[in-house]
Amino acid sequence: MPTLPNGSIEVEHVWKKFRSDKTVPRFYDQVTRLTRRVTDRSKPGYRWVLKDVNFTVSPGESLALIGINGSGKTTLLKILSQVTYQTAGRCTVAGRIGALLSVTSGLHPDLNGRENIFLYGAVLGMGREDIRRKFDDIVDFAELNDAIDRQVKFYSLGMQMRLGFSIAAFLEPDVLLVDEVLAVGDANFQQKCLKRIGEIVRDGTTLLYVSHDLASVEASCERAVWLSDAVVRAAGPTKDVVTMYRTAVEENSTLLNTKDGVVEVLKAELRATDGGQLRSECESEVRLVLNAPESAMASFYIGISQGTAFPMFVIDHQATMPEGDFEIVCKLGYLPLPKGHYSLWTAITGHPKGKKDPYLPWQPVVSFEAFGPDRMEPPEGVMALTPVYVGATWEVR
Amino acid sequence: MTDLAVDQPDKGRRLVVTDLSTIPAEPSEDILYTHKVSVVASARNLWAHREIMYTLAERDFRVQYKQAALGVAWAVLSPVATLLIFVVVFSNSSVKAAFPTQGIPYALYTFVGILCWSFFSQALGNGGTSLLTNKALLAKTQFPRECFPLETMLVTALNTVISWIPLALLFVIFGRAPKLATIWVPLFMVVEVVFAAGITLAVSSLIIQMRDLQQVLPIIISLGIFITPVIWPFSWVPVHYHLFGGTEVNGHWIGGVWVNLQAVYGFFNPLGPIINSVRQTMLLGHNPSLWPLTTATIGALCYLTFGYRIFKRYEVNFADIA
Repeated sequence: MPTLPNGSIEVEHVWKKFRSDKTVPRFYDQVTRLTRRVTDRSKPGYRWVLKDVNFTVSPGESLALIGINGSGKTTLLKILSQVTYQTAGRCTVAGRIGALLSVTSGLHPDLNGRENIFLYGAVLGMGREDIRRKFDDIVDFAELNDAIDRQVKFYSLGMQMRLGFSIAAFLEPDVLLVDEVLAVGDANFQQKCLKRIGEIVRDGTTLLYVSHDLASVEASCERAVWLSDAVVRAAGPTKDVVTMYRTAVEENSTLLNTKDGVVEVLKAELRATDGGQLRSECESEVRLVLNAPESAMASFYIGISQGTAFPMFVIDHQATMPEGDFEIVCKLGYLPLPKGHYSLWTAITGHPKGKKDPYLPWQPVVSFEAFGPDRMEPPEGVMALTPVYVGATWEVR
Repeated sequence: MTDLAVDQPDKGRRLVVTDLSTIPAEPSEDILYTHKVSVVASARNLWAHREIMYTLAERDFRVQYKQAALGVAWAVLSPVATLLIFVVVFSNSSVKAAFPTQGIPYALYTFVGILCWSFFSQALGNGGTSLLTNKALLAKTQFPRECFPLETMLVTALNTVISWIPLALLFVIFGRAPKLATIWVPLFMVVEVVFAAGITLAVSSLIIQMRDLQQVLPIIISLGIFITPVIWPFSWVPVHYHLFGGTEVNGHWIGGVWVNLQAVYGFFNPLGPIINSVRQTMLLGHNPSLWPLTTATIGALCYLTFGYRIFKRYEVNFADIA
């Protein structure tokens, strides 16, 4: 076994199982386990949270683990940081590991900010002298100023997160493992964290970043591994993997599309007005054929998203909805989309008398392919969440 | 697997989609992970992480008195209070008469025992549940897990050292001075720490898996004070215990097979000889009884080795079940 250079990660055939029933073994379980061992009728209940996971990361690379909740991302990170152990397989991380699995769990509410920096710093693996040297930088980064001498229980959650992240930001490990820590905190601080992570990577630290926030993944990682249902579905350049992931999420949400609204969707399409391909910046129109049980005043919404239920933009319109079959045509002046796979979402708000459900809940109705130039990349370390303006004319008939 | 890294220069540069049908239902037997850590290697690793232990201990010590108006003064005040209760209750002459204390005031005699016992019981009580109280850290950070019970013991030790101060007070009250042989006491304390560490490591690793023990532990500890010579003299355990053979003359056995029951007791409960030795040296100025102390030391080392092994064996699950 050749020794790996500092900063490498090697994951070979890693499996991990959890008990699937109760987390705390009760006396009853112990007894049934014994009887099972004797009779050997059935196997004890467990489920695999990781199945045959393989990948390698070279020193200085940045890799993202993406996937929906419960797909095994955090468990894998915990195995890599040796917080927990794999059931089978081999996991090697060369060099000093800095693992930020939770931003606030190391903070003690009764201690003040200063004491907590020394506590959490030590817990994360920094030496006392090391912390003393970086102390001012940490306080500056966390923007805590004189709150540093206040007990942490009087901090807002945002301040606690800033303190926690700032300590980790100055760890200087060979391998930095980060789990979903940017989820909270205001936008400014998020941007600052991303920038700091970018700097850390540039300084040669290997980064393993877990998130389901795709924008931040694209902003900070060159490669990605997509975990789904305990297995690696795909691995490769972030852009390709993220695209695959988005498509899959969307397929899933399309499956959820049932007739749970009062208004029925009979037909939905987005097409170029000239009848050709859907191209970036082309004039296009959305056509929806719907069936309503009654005539009413309603708000119509149309949005376009990439994978998730969060649309990139939404346009809305107030109109009287006719009874029976009707058609909505919405002309989009120009299609503000780069090349890619998208889905069209729609909703009609307002609800029939005596019912609580809206006419049509927010749901994807059709997916489509747009042709044109690739999306332009934002500068490194910047999340692309630019709002899009779309002019449109509506017609309901 | 590894060949990916070696053979493909463009590894990671292109999209690799997993063929889900190639993934077996279960991992093959030969790659199952077995958690084997030698006690020596773990001890070395623990030493490398000692700073974390100190920091956690500092945290607990600070937090203990954080919002108390009297602050750290409580560390001294509470043992003094215990002491006062002692002096009042045990100055009763009928209690005194029941125990052969070799001319030493009963309060002093017992207080020494209480101090030794309270370190052990607090170390076990707090250390035993330390993995539970530190759940958040346990599941999210990575450093030797034994830091938690040992860190708790460190805090207990610090509190204990402070609580020995009132003992000096008690000497003054009774107009006595500790004998020269007191210099041996730290050695006995080392044995006690070793014993307490062994038990605490084992108990903490068991409690986290079987929380029932959390309820049982205080009961066991409160029983322990009665099987340990805290309020009774160790001399109640016979030095020469006749097993078989020999002949009985006037109610005494001559010849046959004997056993030093104090030594046997000491192996299983090192606290007995430890407390006895502290009394022998500090209060009486005698030499400590050698045999019980020796078996106690061996016993304590055995407890530590086995306790540590148990801890290391179960630590695989800690983060999953915490």
